[in-house]
Amino acid sequence: MIAEETLVQELKQKESQAKAFEVLVNTYKERLYWHIRRIVLNHDDADDVLQNTFIKVYRNIDGFKGDSKLYSWMYRIATNESLTFLKQKSRKAGISDEELKMSLVENLQSDVYFEGDEIQLKLQRALATLPDKQKLVFNMKYFQNMKYDEISAALETSVGALKTSYHLAVKKIEAYLKAD
Amino acid sequence: MGKDKKNKFKTPEGYFENFHDRLMDKIHSEENPQSESLIPKSDGFAVPEAYFEDITPALIAKIEAKDTKVISINSYKKYYYSIAAVAAVLLLFFGLTWNSNSEITFDDLASSEIDAYLESTEFSLSSYEIAEVVADENLELFDMLDNTLGEENIMEYLDENVEDFEDLNLDYDDYE
Repeated sequence: MIAEETLVQELKQKESQAKAFEVLVNTYKERLYWHIRRIVLNHDDADDVLQNTFIKVYRNIDGFKGDSKLYSWMYRIATNESLTFLKQKSRKAGISDEELKMSLVENLQSDVYFEGDEIQLKLQRALATLPDKQKLVFNMKYFQNMKYDEISAALETSVGALKTSYHLAVKKIEAYLKAD
Repeated sequence: MGKDKKNKFKTPEGYFENFHDRLMDKIHSEENPQSESLIPKSDGFAVPEAYFEDITPALIAKIEAKDTKVISINSYKKYYYSIAAVAAVLLLFFGLTWNSNSEITFDDLASSEIDAYLESTEFSLSSYEIAEVVADENLELFDMLDNTLGEENIMEYLDENVEDFEDLNLDYDDYE
Protein backbone atom coordinates (compact mmCIF):
# COMPACT_ATOMS: atom_id res chain seq x y z
CA MET A 1 0.00 0.00 0.00
CA ILE A 2 1.21 3.43 -0.94
CA ALA A 3 2.23 5.78 1.84
CA GLU A 4 -0.36 8.39 2.66
CA GLU A 5 1.96 11.38 2.32
CA THR A 6 3.14 10.27 -1.12
CA LEU A 7 -0.44 9.81 -2.21
CA VAL A 8 -1.38 13.32 -1.06
CA GLN A 9 1.61 14.78 -2.91
CA GLU A 10 0.66 12.91 -6.07
CA LEU A 11 -2.93 14.07 -5.78
CA LYS A 12 -1.74 17.66 -5.67
CA GLN A 13 0.35 17.37 -8.83
CA LYS A 14 -1.42 17.64 -12.14
CA GLU A 15 0.53 14.92 -13.94
CA SER A 16 0.10 12.22 -11.27
CA GLN A 17 -3.37 13.30 -10.14
CA ALA A 18 -5.51 10.90 -12.16
CA LYS A 19 -3.56 7.80 -11.21
CA ALA A 20 -3.37 8.83 -7.56
CA PHE A 21 -7.10 9.46 -7.49
CA GLU A 22 -7.70 5.93 -8.70
CA VAL A 23 -5.53 4.58 -5.88
CA LEU A 24 -7.38 6.76 -3.38
CA VAL A 25 -10.79 5.56 -4.54
CA ASN A 26 -9.73 1.93 -4.52
CA THR A 27 -8.26 2.23 -1.04
CA TYR A 28 -11.17 3.96 0.65
CA LYS A 29 -14.30 3.25 -1.39
CA GLU A 30 -15.58 0.34 0.66
CA ARG A 31 -14.89 1.83 4.07
CA LEU A 32 -16.44 5.17 3.16
CA TYR A 33 -19.37 3.50 1.43
CA TRP A 34 -20.32 1.53 4.55
CA HIS A 35 -19.85 4.58 6.73
CA ILE A 36 -22.19 6.60 4.51
CA ARG A 37 -24.65 3.77 3.93
CA ARG A 38 -25.19 3.37 7.66
CA ILE A 39 -26.13 7.03 7.90
CA VAL A 40 -28.35 7.41 4.83
CA LEU A 41 -29.54 3.73 4.79
CA ASN A 42 -30.60 3.60 1.13
CA HIS A 43 -28.10 2.30 -1.44
CA ASP A 44 -28.79 4.86 -4.19
CA ASP A 45 -28.45 7.72 -1.73
CA ALA A 46 -25.23 6.21 -0.36
CA ASP A 47 -23.89 5.95 -3.91
CA ASP A 48 -24.67 9.65 -4.57
CA VAL A 49 -23.10 10.78 -1.31
CA LEU A 50 -20.03 8.58 -1.82
CA GLN A 51 -19.43 10.05 -5.28
CA ASN A 52 -19.90 13.59 -3.97
CA THR A 53 -17.48 12.83 -1.14
CA PHE A 54 -14.73 11.66 -3.51
CA ILE A 55 -15.32 14.59 -5.86
CA LYS A 56 -15.06 16.96 -2.91
CA VAL A 57 -11.85 15.30 -1.75
CA TYR A 58 -10.42 15.61 -5.26
CA ARG A 59 -11.43 19.25 -5.62
CA ASN A 60 -10.20 20.26 -2.19
CA ILE A 61 -7.01 18.26 -1.91
CA ASP A 62 -4.96 21.46 -2.22
CA GLY A 63 -6.63 22.68 0.94
CA PHE A 64 -5.63 19.51 2.81
CA LYS A 65 -2.79 20.65 5.04
CA GLY A 66 -1.87 17.26 6.45
CA ASP A 67 -2.59 18.30 10.05
CA SER A 68 -4.80 15.24 10.32
CA LYS A 69 -4.65 11.92 8.57
CA LEU A 70 -6.08 11.70 5.09
CA TYR A 71 -8.59 9.02 6.03
CA SER A 72 -9.92 10.99 9.00
CA TRP A 73 -10.28 14.06 6.79
CA MET A 74 -12.19 11.94 4.29
CA TYR A 75 -14.39 10.47 7.01
CA ARG A 76 -15.21 13.99 8.16
CA ILE A 77 -16.21 15.00 4.64
CA ALA A 78 -18.26 11.81 4.24
CA THR A 79 -20.01 12.37 7.58
CA ASN A 80 -20.81 16.01 6.79
CA GLU A 81 -22.00 15.16 3.29
CA SER A 82 -24.27 12.41 4.64
CA LEU A 83 -25.79 14.53 7.39
CA THR A 84 -26.29 17.50 5.04
CA PHE A 85 -27.87 15.14 2.52
CA LEU A 86 -30.39 13.97 5.12
CA LYS A 87 -31.15 17.54 6.18
CA GLN A 88 -31.81 18.55 2.58
CA LYS A 89 -33.95 15.49 2.05
CA SER A 90 -36.15 16.21 5.05
CA ARG A 91 -36.42 19.88 4.05
CA LYS A 92 -37.49 18.95 0.52
CA ALA A 93 -40.06 16.51 1.84
CA GLY A 94 -41.27 19.09 4.36
CA ILE A 95 -40.86 16.74 7.32
CA SER A 96 -38.72 16.82 10.45
CA ASP A 97 -35.35 15.04 10.67
CA GLU A 98 -36.86 12.48 13.05
CA GLU A 99 -39.77 11.74 10.73
CA LEU A 100 -37.35 11.29 7.85
CA LYS A 101 -35.17 8.86 9.83
CA MET A 102 -38.19 6.74 10.70
CA SER A 103 -39.47 6.73 7.13
CA LEU A 104 -36.02 5.69 5.86
CA VAL A 105 -36.08 2.71 8.21
CA GLU A 106 -39.60 1.71 7.14
CA ASN A 107 -38.54 1.95 3.48
CA LEU A 108 -35.91 -0.73 4.16
CA GLN A 109 -38.68 -3.34 4.21
CA SER A 110 -39.15 -2.94 0.47
CA ASP A 111 -35.46 -2.24 -0.28
CA VAL A 112 -33.92 -4.91 -2.53
CA TYR A 113 -30.50 -4.12 -1.07
CA PHE A 114 -31.56 -4.75 2.49
CA GLU A 115 -31.37 -8.39 3.41
CA GLY A 116 -32.06 -8.05 7.10
CA ASP A 117 -34.92 -9.74 8.89
CA GLU A 118 -37.11 -8.52 11.73
CA ILE A 119 -34.23 -8.23 14.22
CA GLN A 120 -32.14 -6.13 11.86
CA LEU A 121 -35.10 -3.88 11.15
CA LYS A 122 -35.64 -3.49 14.86
CA LEU A 123 -31.97 -2.60 15.23
CA GLN A 124 -32.38 0.15 12.61
CA ARG A 125 -35.47 1.44 14.42
CA ALA A 126 -33.44 1.54 17.62
CA LEU A 127 -30.58 3.35 15.88
CA ALA A 128 -33.00 5.92 14.45
CA THR A 129 -33.95 6.95 17.99
CA LEU A 130 -30.33 7.72 18.97
CA PRO A 131 -28.67 11.14 18.72
CA ASP A 132 -26.47 11.41 15.60
CA LYS A 133 -23.20 11.17 17.53
CA GLN A 134 -24.17 7.99 19.42
CA LYS A 135 -25.40 6.37 16.23
CA LEU A 136 -22.19 7.26 14.39
CA VAL A 137 -19.94 5.96 17.16
CA PHE A 138 -21.94 2.77 17.49
CA ASN A 139 -21.80 1.98 13.77
CA MET A 140 -18.12 2.83 13.48
CA LYS A 141 -17.18 0.70 16.47
CA TYR A 142 -19.60 -2.20 16.28
CA PHE A 143 -19.96 -2.75 12.55
CA GLN A 144 -16.85 -1.14 11.10
CA ASN A 145 -14.53 -2.31 13.90
CA MET A 146 -12.74 1.02 14.04
CA LYS A 147 -10.47 1.80 16.95
CA TYR A 148 -11.41 4.57 19.36
CA ASP A 149 -8.46 6.74 18.33
CA GLU A 150 -9.45 6.42 14.67
CA ILE A 151 -13.05 7.37 15.46
CA SER A 152 -11.74 10.19 17.64
CA ALA A 153 -9.77 11.68 14.72
CA ALA A 154 -12.66 11.27 12.29
CA LEU A 155 -15.31 12.79 14.54
CA GLU A 156 -13.04 15.25 16.36
CA THR A 157 -14.25 14.01 19.72
CA SER A 158 -12.18 12.80 22.67
CA VAL A 159 -11.77 9.07 23.21
CA GLY A 160 -13.38 9.37 26.66
CA ALA A 161 -16.49 11.01 25.25
CA LEU A 162 -16.66 8.39 22.50
CA LYS A 163 -16.52 5.54 24.99
CA THR A 164 -19.38 7.10 26.93
CA SER A 165 -21.39 7.57 23.73
CA TYR A 166 -20.76 3.97 22.68
CA HIS A 167 -21.71 2.60 26.08
CA LEU A 168 -24.93 4.64 26.13
CA ALA A 169 -25.76 3.59 22.58
CA VAL A 170 -25.31 -0.12 23.38
CA LYS A 171 -27.47 0.18 26.49
CA LYS A 172 -30.25 2.02 24.63
CA ILE A 173 -30.19 -0.41 21.70
CA GLU A 174 -30.28 -3.44 23.97
CA ALA A 175 -33.18 -1.96 25.94
CA TYR A 176 -35.00 -1.26 22.67
CA LEU A 177 -34.40 -4.79 21.38
CA LYS A 178 -35.58 -6.36 24.65
CA ALA A 179 -38.79 -4.37 24.71
CA ASP A 180 -41.63 -5.62 22.53
CA MET B 1 -1.24 -39.89 51.44
CA GLY B 2 -3.46 -40.60 48.43
CA LYS B 3 -5.00 -37.40 47.25
CA ASP B 4 -7.76 -39.20 45.37
CA LYS B 5 -8.86 -41.11 48.43
CA LYS B 6 -9.41 -37.95 50.42
CA ASN B 7 -11.18 -36.06 47.67
CA LYS B 8 -14.86 -36.93 47.54
CA PHE B 9 -15.72 -34.46 44.80
CA LYS B 10 -16.16 -35.53 41.23
CA THR B 11 -15.95 -33.62 38.00
CA PRO B 12 -17.80 -34.34 34.75
CA GLU B 13 -15.92 -36.49 32.32
CA GLY B 14 -13.43 -34.60 30.22
CA TYR B 15 -13.76 -31.49 32.43
CA PHE B 16 -10.04 -30.80 32.69
CA GLU B 17 -9.37 -31.72 29.08
CA ASN B 18 -11.53 -28.94 27.62
CA PHE B 19 -11.15 -26.44 30.48
CA HIS B 20 -8.61 -24.41 28.55
CA ASP B 21 -10.88 -24.05 25.52
CA ARG B 22 -13.83 -22.96 27.61
CA LEU B 23 -11.69 -20.48 29.51
CA MET B 24 -10.44 -18.95 26.27
CA ASP B 25 -14.02 -18.70 24.95
CA LYS B 26 -15.04 -16.84 28.09
CA ILE B 27 -12.11 -14.44 27.88
CA HIS B 28 -12.89 -13.83 24.22
CA SER B 29 -16.55 -13.09 24.92
CA GLU B 30 -15.65 -10.64 27.69
CA GLU B 31 -13.23 -8.83 25.46
CA ASN B 32 -15.75 -8.71 22.63
CA PRO B 33 -19.04 -7.95 24.31
CA GLN B 34 -20.93 -7.94 21.02
CA SER B 35 -20.50 -11.68 20.65
CA GLU B 36 -22.74 -12.19 23.68
CA SER B 37 -25.02 -9.27 23.02
CA LEU B 38 -28.59 -9.20 21.79
CA ILE B 39 -27.44 -6.94 19.02
CA PRO B 40 -27.12 -8.83 15.73
CA LYS B 41 -23.64 -9.10 14.25
CA SER B 42 -24.72 -8.05 10.81
CA ASP B 43 -27.02 -5.18 9.96
CA GLY B 44 -28.37 -6.70 6.76
CA PHE B 45 -27.24 -4.12 4.23
CA ALA B 46 -26.26 -5.35 0.77
CA VAL B 47 -24.95 -3.72 -2.39
CA PRO B 48 -25.67 -4.45 -6.07
CA GLU B 49 -23.39 -7.02 -7.64
CA ALA B 50 -20.02 -5.64 -8.74
CA TYR B 51 -20.88 -2.24 -7.28
CA PHE B 52 -17.41 -1.75 -5.79
CA GLU B 53 -15.71 -2.75 -9.04
CA ASP B 54 -17.84 -0.35 -11.09
CA ILE B 55 -17.59 2.65 -8.82
CA THR B 56 -13.93 3.44 -9.57
CA PRO B 57 -14.30 3.87 -13.37
CA ALA B 58 -17.59 5.70 -12.83
CA LEU B 59 -15.92 8.19 -10.49
CA ILE B 60 -12.93 8.72 -12.75
CA ALA B 61 -15.26 9.41 -15.67
CA LYS B 62 -17.16 11.89 -13.53
CA ILE B 63 -13.98 13.69 -12.48
CA GLU B 64 -12.77 13.90 -16.07
CA ALA B 65 -16.13 15.18 -17.28
CA LYS B 66 -16.17 17.79 -14.53
CA ASP B 67 -12.61 18.80 -15.29
CA THR B 68 -13.54 19.78 -18.82
CA LYS B 69 -16.67 21.58 -17.72
CA VAL B 70 -15.28 23.17 -14.61
CA ILE B 71 -14.23 26.47 -16.20
CA SER B 72 -17.63 27.26 -17.56
CA ILE B 73 -19.41 26.30 -14.34
CA ASN B 74 -17.10 28.26 -12.13
CA SER B 75 -17.10 31.35 -14.28
CA TYR B 76 -20.86 31.12 -14.50
CA LYS B 77 -21.12 31.05 -10.73
CA LYS B 78 -18.65 33.87 -10.46
CA TYR B 79 -20.64 36.08 -12.81
CA TYR B 80 -24.01 35.09 -11.47
CA TYR B 81 -23.84 37.65 -8.68
CA SER B 82 -22.38 40.33 -10.94
CA ILE B 83 -25.12 39.83 -13.51
CA ALA B 84 -27.77 39.85 -10.81
CA ALA B 85 -26.27 43.04 -9.36
CA VAL B 86 -26.04 44.75 -12.75
CA ALA B 87 -29.59 43.70 -13.55
CA ALA B 88 -30.83 45.08 -10.25
CA VAL B 89 -29.02 48.39 -10.76
CA LEU B 90 -30.28 48.73 -14.34
CA LEU B 91 -33.80 47.95 -13.25
CA LEU B 92 -33.64 50.51 -10.49
CA PHE B 93 -32.06 53.16 -12.71
CA PHE B 94 -34.45 52.75 -15.61
CA GLY B 95 -37.38 52.28 -13.30
CA LEU B 96 -36.71 55.68 -11.77
CA THR B 97 -35.66 57.67 -14.80
CA TRP B 98 -37.16 56.10 -17.85
CA ASN B 99 -40.01 57.85 -19.51
CA SER B 100 -42.77 55.32 -19.96
CA ASN B 101 -43.61 56.63 -23.45
CA SER B 102 -40.20 55.71 -24.79
CA GLU B 103 -39.66 52.78 -27.03
CA ILE B 104 -38.25 49.62 -25.60
CA THR B 105 -34.49 49.71 -25.84
CA PHE B 106 -31.88 47.04 -25.77
CA ASP B 107 -30.96 47.81 -22.16
CA ASP B 108 -34.51 47.51 -21.03
CA LEU B 109 -34.98 44.27 -22.88
CA ALA B 110 -31.77 42.87 -21.55
CA SER B 111 -32.61 43.43 -17.91
CA SER B 112 -36.10 42.02 -18.26
CA GLU B 113 -34.69 39.08 -20.18
CA ILE B 114 -32.14 38.49 -17.47
CA ASP B 115 -34.81 38.71 -14.81
CA ALA B 116 -37.03 36.27 -16.64
CA TYR B 117 -34.12 33.95 -17.17
CA LEU B 118 -33.15 34.04 -13.53
CA GLU B 119 -36.74 33.44 -12.48
CA SER B 120 -37.53 30.65 -14.89
CA THR B 121 -34.29 28.72 -14.87
CA GLU B 122 -33.87 25.93 -12.40
CA PHE B 123 -30.33 26.33 -11.11
CA SER B 124 -30.60 23.19 -9.03
CA LEU B 125 -28.39 24.85 -6.47
CA SER B 126 -29.50 24.74 -2.90
CA SER B 127 -28.70 27.60 -0.59
CA TYR B 128 -26.06 25.35 0.99
CA GLU B 129 -24.38 24.88 -2.36
CA ILE B 130 -24.48 28.58 -3.13
CA ALA B 131 -23.05 29.27 0.31
CA GLU B 132 -20.22 26.89 -0.44
CA VAL B 133 -19.02 28.78 -3.51
CA VAL B 134 -19.22 32.20 -1.92
CA ALA B 135 -16.10 32.92 0.06
CA ASP B 136 -17.33 34.44 3.28
CA GLU B 137 -14.09 35.17 5.12
CA ASN B 138 -13.94 38.81 4.13
CA LEU B 139 -17.60 39.30 3.53
CA GLU B 140 -19.95 41.19 5.77
CA LEU B 141 -23.70 40.85 5.51
CA PHE B 142 -24.00 44.53 4.67
CA ASP B 143 -21.69 44.20 1.67
CA MET B 144 -24.56 42.49 -0.05
CA LEU B 145 -27.39 44.65 1.16
CA ASP B 146 -28.04 48.23 0.21
CA ASN B 147 -30.80 48.57 2.73
CA THR B 148 -30.67 47.39 6.27
CA LEU B 149 -33.21 44.73 7.05
CA GLY B 150 -36.03 45.84 9.29
CA GLU B 151 -36.58 43.87 12.44
CA GLU B 152 -40.08 43.06 11.20
CA ASN B 153 -38.71 41.45 8.04
CA ILE B 154 -36.24 39.39 10.02
CA MET B 155 -38.90 38.17 12.45
CA GLU B 156 -41.23 37.35 9.57
CA TYR B 157 -38.50 35.38 7.82
CA LEU B 158 -37.58 33.44 10.94
CA ASP B 159 -41.22 32.76 11.67
CA GLU B 160 -41.75 31.23 8.25
CA ASN B 161 -38.50 29.40 7.85
CA VAL B 162 -37.23 28.20 11.18
CA GLU B 163 -38.84 25.15 12.66
CA ASP B 164 -36.60 24.52 15.56
CA PHE B 165 -35.23 27.53 17.32
CA GLU B 166 -32.37 25.48 18.67
CA ASP B 167 -31.03 25.46 15.09
CA LEU B 168 -30.23 29.12 15.53
CA ASN B 169 -27.77 28.39 18.31
CA LEU B 170 -28.92 31.41 20.20
CA ASP B 171 -27.22 32.16 23.42
CA TYR B 172 -30.29 32.72 25.53
CA ASP B 173 -28.34 34.48 28.27
CA ASP B 174 -27.98 37.42 25.89
CA TYR B 175 -31.71 37.83 25.69
CA GLU B 176 -32.58 37.68 29.32
